[in-house]
Amino acid sequence: MKRFIIAFIAAYIFIFFWGWLLNGVVLKDAYAQTPNLWRPQSEMMSLFHWIIIGQALVVFAFVMIYASGFTGSGVGAGIKLGILLEIGAIGMRLGFYAVQPFPGKLVFYGSIGGLIEMVIVGAIVGAIYKPASARISSQ
Amino acid sequence: MDWKKFFFAFIAAFIFLFVFGFLWYATLMHGAHREVSTLLRPEADLKSHFGWLVLGHLVMAFFFTLLCARYVPSGRASAGAILGILVGLVYAGPHLISFAVQPLTLKILCGWIVGAVIQFAIAGAIVGAIYKPAAEYTMYVKERSR
Repeated sequence: MKRFIIAFIAAYIFIFFWGWLLNGVVLKDAYAQTPNLWRPQSEMMSLFHWIIIGQALVVFAFVMIYASGFTGSGVGAGIKLGILLEIGAIGMRLGFYAVQPFPGKLVFYGSIGGLIEMVIVGAIVGAIYKPASARISSQ
Repeated sequence: MDWKKFFFAFIAAFIFLFVFGFLWYATLMHGAHREVSTLLRPEADLKSHFGWLVLGHLVMAFFFTLLCARYVPSGRASAGAILGILVGLVYAGPHLISFAVQPLTLKILCGWIVGAVIQFAIAGAIVGAIYKPAAEYTMYVKERSR
């Protein structure tokens, strides 16, 4: 449980700063090209807690899947899980691109950024959390 | 990996994800989506982007089936459904973030989250029921996890 919480917090801190770097800095100009799709800055800030809850949910569910023990253990297993989940999420992003008028550039770079994010989240979780079966076999 | 069973599970998952998506998001939530029509492509534009929707569902179905086949080695419907719920929650997180940055309504947010969890829970159960590896492999995994 202790390692679960540490893995969750470490991955959450990373995902929070990565989200800010990717969406708030790197892709800022791409977002600015479609202002009609986004809330005004002041409104976004008043709803900021939803971003925190959303990121926490992603990390919590990720660690839960990893902690189920079927993923194996270690950094490699975490990275594999991250890649599988994120490529599925890219599929979902393509679905959103079909129905919402996002610029293709935003979807492309958002997907690359998402893949890097989940690879690193997987590595962090894999390095910190050891599923019970792995802990027993390593003793 | 039993590729024949994997292929059938993938096709079943794709058909289910696509049909459920149509019923839930395009039919049941049609009224809610009309409230934010400026966020959506016009009908003609949507039709010209339909290929992306199909491709997106194919990618989702393929990697979700791969995830179930790898991480639910016993291949039971209930275990697949539990993994599906967790995957649905991973994908529901970005919906919460979208709500904070896009002028979506609370009704849409709830619809998307509930939809994602139900969709992947059932898809997981379908994959778990179809993709059952050989008995020897299941025994090997059980022994290994002890």
